[in-house]
Amino acid sequence: MSNKIIGWAEQGLFAVSVFIGFLLLFESQLVVPVWLQPVGRMHPLLLHFPLVMLLLAVGLEAFRFGATPETSAVYKKLAATLLLAGTLLAAVAVIMGLLLSKEVGYTGEVVVWHKWAGVGVFFLATLLYWSRNKSWYSPMVARTGAVLMGLVLTGAGHYGAALTHGTDFITAPMAQYQKKVPVDVQQAVVFADVIQPIFEQKCITCHNANKLKGELALHDAASVQKGGKTGKLFVAGKPDISLLLQRIHLPMDEKKHMPPTGKAQLTPAEIRLLSLWVKGQANPGGADFNKRVLDLPASDSLRMMAVALFTPIKPAEPEFDFKAADDETVKKLNTDYRTVAFLAKESPALAVNLYNKATYSAGQLKELSAVKKQVVSLNLNKLPVKDADLTYIGQLENLQRLDLNFTDVTGKGLRELLPLKHLESLALSGTKTTYADLNGQLPNFKKLRALTLWETGITSGEIEKLRKANPGIQIIAGFDGDKSAPIRLNVPQMANNSPIFSESIRAQIIHPVKGVQIRYTTDGTEPDSINSPIFDKSVLLTKPTSINAKAYKSGWYSSPVVTFDYYKRTHKPDSATLLYPLNPVHLAAGANTFFDNRLGTFTANSPAWANNWAGFRANPMGLITEFKKPVRVSSVALRIMEEEETGIFPPEVIEIWGGTSRETLKLIATMKPEQPTQKRPHLLKAITCTFAPQTVSYLKIFARPVSKIPDWHASKGGKALLLVDEVLIN
Amino acid sequence: MEKEILEHGLNFNRRRFLSRMSLGLGSVALGSLLMPDLFRSSGADEDGFTPGMPHFAPKAKRVIYLFQNGAPSQQELFDYKPKLRELMGQDLPPSVRGTQRLTGMTANQKEFPLVGSFVDFKQYGESRAWVSDLMPYTAGVVDDLCFVKSMYTEAINHDPALTFIQTGSQQGNRPSMGAWLSYGLGNENKNLPAFTVLLSRGIGNGQGVYSKLWSNGFLDSVHQGVQFSKGEDPVLYLRDPEGMTRTERRAMLDNLAQLNDLSYQEFGDPEIAAKVQQYEMAYRMQTAVPTVLDVSKEPDDIIKLYGPDCLVPGTFAANCLMARKLSENGVRFVQLYHQGWDQHGNLPFEIAKQAKDVDQASAALITDLKQRGLLDETLVIWGGEFGRTSYTQGKLTKDNYGRDHHPRCFTIWMAGGGIKPGIVYGETDEMGYNIAQNPVHVHDFQATVLNQLGLNHEKLVFKYQGRRFRLTDVSGKVIHDIIA
Repeated sequence: MSNKIIGWAEQGLFAVSVFIGFLLLFESQLVVPVWLQPVGRMHPLLLHFPLVMLLLAVGLEAFRFGATPETSAVYKKLAATLLLAGTLLAAVAVIMGLLLSKEVGYTGEVVVWHKWAGVGVFFLATLLYWSRNKSWYSPMVARTGAVLMGLVLTGAGHYGAALTHGTDFITAPMAQYQKKVPVDVQQAVVFADVIQPIFEQKCITCHNANKLKGELALHDAASVQKGGKTGKLFVAGKPDISLLLQRIHLPMDEKKHMPPTGKAQLTPAEIRLLSLWVKGQANPGGADFNKRVLDLPASDSLRMMAVALFTPIKPAEPEFDFKAADDETVKKLNTDYRTVAFLAKESPALAVNLYNKATYSAGQLKELSAVKKQVVSLNLNKLPVKDADLTYIGQLENLQRLDLNFTDVTGKGLRELLPLKHLESLALSGTKTTYADLNGQLPNFKKLRALTLWETGITSGEIEKLRKANPGIQIIAGFDGDKSAPIRLNVPQMANNSPIFSESIRAQIIHPVKGVQIRYTTDGTEPDSINSPIFDKSVLLTKPTSINAKAYKSGWYSSPVVTFDYYKRTHKPDSATLLYPLNPVHLAAGANTFFDNRLGTFTANSPAWANNWAGFRANPMGLITEFKKPVRVSSVALRIMEEEETGIFPPEVIEIWGGTSRETLKLIATMKPEQPTQKRPHLLKAITCTFAPQTVSYLKIFARPVSKIPDWHASKGGKALLLVDEVLIN
Repeated sequence: MEKEILEHGLNFNRRRFLSRMSLGLGSVALGSLLMPDLFRSSGADEDGFTPGMPHFAPKAKRVIYLFQNGAPSQQELFDYKPKLRELMGQDLPPSVRGTQRLTGMTANQKEFPLVGSFVDFKQYGESRAWVSDLMPYTAGVVDDLCFVKSMYTEAINHDPALTFIQTGSQQGNRPSMGAWLSYGLGNENKNLPAFTVLLSRGIGNGQGVYSKLWSNGFLDSVHQGVQFSKGEDPVLYLRDPEGMTRTERRAMLDNLAQLNDLSYQEFGDPEIAAKVQQYEMAYRMQTAVPTVLDVSKEPDDIIKLYGPDCLVPGTFAANCLMARKLSENGVRFVQLYHQGWDQHGNLPFEIAKQAKDVDQASAALITDLKQRGLLDETLVIWGGEFGRTSYTQGKLTKDNYGRDHHPRCFTIWMAGGGIKPGIVYGETDEMGYNIAQNPVHVHDFQATVLNQLGLNHEKLVFKYQGRRFRLTDVSGKVIHDIIA
């Protein structure tokens, strides 16, 4: 019977060994459920049993090989059973301890030492138990094991005690110094709370009332002022020649460097604090050792550094005294057009946003009564919320923020919001709120801090009155265009898809700003606001025309003048081919580029640049166009870009060849376009080559890029680039 | 006989072994009950994170990031360095440059002549912040801004630097900041994506932007940034084809969802569920987007505030206005990119135009959010991917110069969202070349942004291919000094 129990216990011992090993291996993943925490907390209760049992057991072990024990069955059995029971209980204590260590607050070196000492106890005991009947288990081994066990047990016990009672529990009554309670910045004294702690941490072990190295003590203000063997510690206002800082700044290998090698050194921040403090001694009242931190001027470096020592790093989380609504309710309230979301993971507070004018109904607000305690923020911007709907909002007792911009509410509805005792921010921009409503109601919103009233029709004078009457509320009036300085209109825009036409075109010029008047000229002069005709929807053009246009509106500066070139192309060839390859980086759409009605622009970043400009540099432009039906032509124009700065020039020469077949082309016209002779702004233009009218089926258009950039230019001597986007045949 | 004994012994041992084994396994099983996450393969909530639920109460609910793509020159905008004008034309002392790696564009330059700003600076507001004359509107709102003059990054070229500031890593394939926020906070408005992107282009030398910058990386694809374009259809393919009614569309989606559900049952691929969600979102966006983006009802004050260009689609001003409208409608992260800040040459001319493009609308956004009471819960960020050198790239002439890439320091500003208003944080040295005080690494900046949104950057993790990834990789600290 008893053997059976021992057998079970041994099996159990094996199991717990594995279990503990496993827990230790994956300790970082360990999560203790709440119901198991009490078990962990019984660790201090249980641990005394294995402690005593194991001490007894190893005691018996140590003397097991004596004459009497060898023969006593009781002794043998007692030793074995005690060791086994002690080991098992130790296992339980270890498991409990591991569970307990997962609770908040068990960090630090002592915990680690205690944990491994405890684990050591268990595994050592297990080892002893399994080896005690082996042949090599001699009295010597038994005694060594016993002593070792005693040591580890003491260690585990000691660190355990240090955990519950504190590391200095035993020596506490003898300790001279007591720990400081944290000081509030309001009360903080420069010397006592900023400077003295540095001495205490880094200097006082050698310089105190009992141990006056170099006859210097730093434990109180009087001693600090007195100085040591070499003299006074500091010269007021002159840190550079003060002994204190000189010693600190000496190189590390210098014998007189302080703190001495091997001791904790001062941090740069500490050195700076000391230096600023010595410097400040020369200021009026600076020598006062009882001066408070906040008595220093706000711009004082010492004050700024010192204040940082006391400021808590993280702002406090907003706290709410209500419970969270259950997840199911919140989930149910979430629809496609209403978001109900927890402020944060651990927060009970909810933020609610409603969207979509078309689906809004007051019922959506009514349903929020299920979470009326929890909603702290509600956004209803741009929804048709009526004054009556505000009744439902009035129930949301903890609401802090309410956004009603551009809703249909009026000031009359504010009454419904009076129950909102926590309301801090209210947005009423774009509503029909009036001064009278606000003036009466605002004082009743005790916690209100911010109110937006932009686009409400409340005059700036009334806003000022509201601000005066409610100094605690930041009232935001926003931007008033009528009061601001006039700004310049942007230029009119061409609405035609392309300014290239064959017979006629209705030129369409528009402006994005409502109520703008566009005036224009077609003679190259700048339009003015009196004499130039008003551009009305569209103007019919039958000839190539340059329209200069300007936009006007009262309250605005007129726009800059803008030119829209309308180009005529009577004949579009049935096919076109290029004789020589294009510049590899300016391929555009090949020969089709010239007849696709799409114009290039200056901005090289724009897709219109790469797609619409065909470029020639190494090879000339040689374009053969074919007309299935012969056409009568009298001019050919190339639309080009000139930007001398980047080496883009007009062609050196243009030749027009024509004829009735490909093989019989004759030179019809030659022209040398005007070239820039100095730096000048970039421009877009059509270079037209006119000649006596003739009928042709084929035209060859030849244009050679400038082969030698002139000497005045930065890239003189190089080949210029020729860019062409359209070819106009008339 | 011997054999039997041996076998008995073996059997005995095997039996003992097995029974012991079961005990041992039992113990392990018991132990594993206490480790709920031990055998979980992936799980972002390992560190106590639930997607869509901030770690702590957020100061900011939304972000608008006005990204100045190409790296605006801090010396001409916000970092006032009068000393550079004094030292005009003098060579940058090698001690200042140290062992810094230069770009291929100026590494071969024989000398590095310092160049001061061509434009003057003045102090503004109660904060007395220095702002150049190129930014008159921004100067008007300095008391709402927090300038960080001591930003620094690790990359020296556009693509890696952009990718770094957007995703926390110089190589691609990590989720962008907006995707992390979408993952961390979820949608506020279920009718709009949580992360949207708007592009615009200035006159200056431009650098590319590409969809990897608003990628969801290894996160679920619902967190990807949705690009709104400037054309008639801000969101492409959102309109129903002609002749298709809403009911037909609904029926089609329902049937499609059933088919998708079948294949989800079969393969269990989470991307299928994501796809269904995206179809549903697109359906709701069909009604939400046109109303949200309609600018025709904006009052005249708004047009004057942002400038008339806000009515010209595709401009920075129009995107700022759109950003406000999206943000106001609960889009968590609106990312703007304005191209054209890469002034290697011709800087005075180009930067003046660039600044004019963005100044009024950037300041307008601050004022507009404020007058709606939204600035306190919207974090606005303005800045590029790195800074520019204090020495000139190319030839220094009387009125023209350029500046090369400079990762060691650059200036950004932030506003709203619980950031201290009206302060300047960090300083560069008098040559504007190195940081003199309070350096802010890109990861610190990202950690701070996440912090304002209620997310602990060390806990916002996603386990992918056996590693827990963060936006801030393995570094970053929250800059508490700029938090109100």
